[in-house]
Formats: sequence, C-alpha cells, structure tokens
Amino acid sequence: MKISEKILDNISSLSKIRIDEEIKSDLVKDLESILEMVEEMNKIDTSGIEPMSHPLEEADNLRKDIATKEIKRDEYQKYAPQTDDGFYLTPKVVE
Amino acid sequence: MEDLSKLSLIEQINGLKARKFSSLELTEFYLKKIDQEKALNSFISLNENALKEAKKSDEKIAKNKNSSLEGIPIAHKDIFCIKDQITTCGSKMLENFVSPYSSTVYEKLSNSGTVNLGKTNMDEFAMGSSNETSFFGSVLNPIDPQRVPGGSSGGSASAVAANLCSFATGTDTGGSIRQPAAFCGITGIKPTYGRVSRWGMIAFASSLDQGGIFAKNALDAALALENIAGFDEKDSTSINKKVPSFLNEAKSKDKEHIVGIPKDIIEDIKDDKVKNNFYESLEILKKSGVKVKEIDLKNIQYSLPVYYVIAPAECSANLSRYDGVRYGHRCENPKDLEDLYERSRAEGFGEEVKKRILIGTYCLSAGYYDAYYIKAQKIRNLIKQSFINAFKEVSSIMMPTCANVSFKLNSIQNPVEMYEQDIYTIPANLAGLPAISIPSGKIKKLPLGIQFIGNYLEEGNLFNLSNKFQQNSNFHNE
Repeated sequence: MKISEKILDNISSLSKIRIDEEIKSDLVKDLESILEMVEEMNKIDTSGIEPMSHPLEEADNLRKDIATKEIKRDEYQKYAPQTDDGFYLTPKVVE
Repeated sequence: MEDLSKLSLIEQINGLKARKFSSLELTEFYLKKIDQEKALNSFISLNENALKEAKKSDEKIAKNKNSSLEGIPIAHKDIFCIKDQITTCGSKMLENFVSPYSSTVYEKLSNSGTVNLGKTNMDEFAMGSSNETSFFGSVLNPIDPQRVPGGSSGGSASAVAANLCSFATGTDTGGSIRQPAAFCGITGIKPTYGRVSRWGMIAFASSLDQGGIFAKNALDAALALENIAGFDEKDSTSINKKVPSFLNEAKSKDKEHIVGIPKDIIEDIKDDKVKNNFYESLEILKKSGVKVKEIDLKNIQYSLPVYYVIAPAECSANLSRYDGVRYGHRCENPKDLEDLYERSRAEGFGEEVKKRILIGTYCLSAGYYDAYYIKAQKIRNLIKQSFINAFKEVSSIMMPTCANVSFKLNSIQNPVEMYEQDIYTIPANLAGLPAISIPSGKIKKLPLGIQFIGNYLEEGNLFNLSNKFQQNSNFHNE
C-alpha cells in the first residue's frame, strides 16, 4: 500500500498530530513498510469467520448503575494546563 | 550482615521474619545501590517516602502484624499510577502528570506491605522492544551496558537483573514483560488477560494489555502474582474467579505436564544457537518427568501482522485523550483549538508513538476499516481457536521467548525489524493466554529465555513447570 501525501495529510488531521514537512518522506517510508508487513494477512481466507474484538468471551462484570459520588472536579482540575472557575480553558472556539 | 543483593523475594521475607535484617536496612541498601547504578537509567523517579514506608513495616513486623510482603522493597513500572506521585509512562506528554488516584496493582502491593522504591523507565506508552523510545533516555542492560534490556518494561527488568530490587511490576501488551525478562536473564510472567486489574494502569491497547511481574525465579513470581491478581469492580474486564495460591501450585508435586512443541515454529528458528538452546531446555524438562507432544499451531505466523493492526488501532483510540486540555503537555501560545490539539500532540508524543497512532488511525479510517481492522480481528479469532485446539491435547506450549539475544543500542533502525522482536510473544496476548519466560542459558554471556504458554487461568501450572525446570537447572542463579 502506497501512502500518498493526501492520505498522510488525512490521517494526520484525523489523529490531530501535526507532521513537519522535513520528516514526511521518512515517515511515509516507515508507514509503508509496516503496512507491507501487515498485508501478509491477505494470504489467508477468512470468509465465514467471526471477528474477535476481545480475548474474553464475556465481559459482563459491569457494576450496578448507581452513582458513586466520586466527583472530585477541583482535585482533577489541579492538573489541567488552564482552568477557570471549574471550566477547562481553550483558545476561543466561536468568534 | 549477609549479602542482601542476591536474596530472592522469599529469602527476604524469611530474613525479615527471622530479624536477620530490617526493612529499613534492606531499603537503604537498595537506595544506595540504585544510586551507584544510576548509569543504567533503570528508574525515572524515586519514592521520597521509601524509608518512612520501611520504618512503618518494621514496626508492624515487631508487633507481628505483618502482611504477606511486609517490608519488601519493590519497583513499579512508571505506567502504574500512584496517587500524588508523578506517573510519566515514559513520555514527555506526561512528564509532569501527577496522578489523582492509585492503580489497583499498586494499592494491592502497598496493602501487602511492600515498600515502593520508585518508578522504572519504560518505552514511551509501552511502545517499543528495546526501551529506546523512552523520553527519559535508554535503559542499559546490566549484563552488557552496550546492549538494550528489551522493552517495553526495560527499567523493571534491568533493575531486577542488577539487584536493585528483588521483584518489580511490569506490563505486557505484545511481550513487554517476557522479552526484557529473557534479555536480562530473569523470570517474567504475563498472566491471563483479565487476571490482573488494569485500573490505573495507563492504557496502550486495552484488549491486549496485562499487568505482571518480574522476579528472580518462578516461586518468587508466583508469590508476587498472587498478591496482585483478582477481580476488581473498577475494571469490568477483570475476571471474577477466585485466585488460588500460585505459590502452593508452583510447589505442588501432583501436577502432571504435557508440554506441546509447535514443530513448524521451532524448525523455522533462524539462529541455530537459539534452536539448540530450545532442545537442550526440552531435555532438562524431560529429565524431570515432563511429557512432550508435537502440536500444530495453525495460522500463528500471522500473529505479527494481526498485532500491528489491532494494537495501533486501540492505541490510536486510547491516546486520543491526550489533547492538551485536561492534563498532560500543552503547547505554548496556541492560535486556535485545532492548533492546540495538533501541536500539543506533535510535541508531547515521540516518533514511535506517533507512528503507531497514524497506522491505527489509517486502519480504522473510512474505506480501510474492513480490509485491515476487521480482517485482523477475524485472524485473531483463528489464532485463538488454534490454541484452544492445542490445549485439548497438552497442558502448556513451549517456544523460545525471543529469536535472538539482546542487541546493541541503536542497532535496529527499521521498525518492522524491531517489531519482529515480539514474534514469539505476541500470540499469547492475541489469545489472552498466560505466559512466562524463564532463563534457559546463554550465548557468549548473553541470556536466552524459554517461554511456556498456558491455558486460561492456568498460571499455577506455568509456575509449577517453570519451578521444575529451575530445580533441574541453575540458569536463574547465574
């Protein structure tokens, strides 16, 4: 699989990671070599096989749907880069 | 006083009980040794309360109120959150992240009386097989400091091998406990997926990640694992089954073993020395009365490509939480929200982590999802079925841990070549099976490991088999 500049820009945008121009060609080379290895998968016929998302058959150990009152907003926000009066601050989103 | 550095975990427990030394003496001894061995770079941070914790343990021991691991110093991989302490996960992104809560693994070991020495170095977000992707610099292998300790739990493996602690925690997503254990000549166990709670263990690939233990031998690892295993209501994927005494199971004389040998895989081992070591190890087992049977593990050769779709896909989702808003690194002077996200993540993540996020994003993106992600999940199912079929005939499966011994720092530049480090360890993660690596000999002073993969929840069986091997060999004491 070839990774075109258009594809690279798309996945960079989807994953919200800026990629510097100067590293693009090396990065593309690495990504293509990984995908080439991954495409080994095409050698095997998987028709009729169910996809498996998890190693355990059932993950039904959900706790009861009861509020635990473990809301520690102030404590958690101590570690945020910028907050104000219980809100997380970001650059302006709406003009 | 006796040489504290060589003592195993169980010897330390007995020494403390017999008042041969105190927890304070033991902790001071290790802190001094950690300082002397700073060049190994095994630790990212040290616990400034270690001596206080040791004194508390000594008081409990004096009153005979000691817990099972009272006063024993331990090191934790810096992926396990500890309340009010920095947990970096080996990343610039979390360089200054102070955790507001503790992981279940840490809590359990703390309640068992252990003294936390500090947090060990690791590949960034546990992505790597050499510990070279850490933001805090490479860890050196104490056996040959020009070589890597393996990864991602390289700091923990290096610390145990260099006698900076008798045991340590680690995590294993594709081999991150077993490969470094093999490279450093120690014992490492990745339990069944779900055996150990993932609460507070920073996520990489949630359907593969599992916490485990590094130790000097199988009995120590068994005792340590029974102290961290068990159901945790904070982790809905943890298994709600009683945890047996792994130590009793390890020592049991009643267990019979039929070890499966996947002939095709073994015959394909490229390095003759690794292959010979495998067969020599098999002879040691046979002499201790273990039965052996050839098996066929179909489709196992696809484990590497399957893993490098599933792990990056899950990582791209898990690591989306690092947005420069709630916690973690934030770029200077963002001009808008998009710039904030894109630059914070570009600056905070290292090259390997970015590569995996990009691959994962690609495999999950519109138009490629079925061809990569669903395809990988289907083959994952086939691999699991191969194991299930094999375990109808055998009680465990034996393979090398790694295709080679530790390599020199900076010697592997190609990503796929680095990924191939985990070719024998990944299958157990894909199927969710427990697996252990124990030392099995050396090539020119550099350790090799063999790996036993067990059936679901059969960690006790793996410890028993490993203990049998270690009773009939001395590689773990060399």
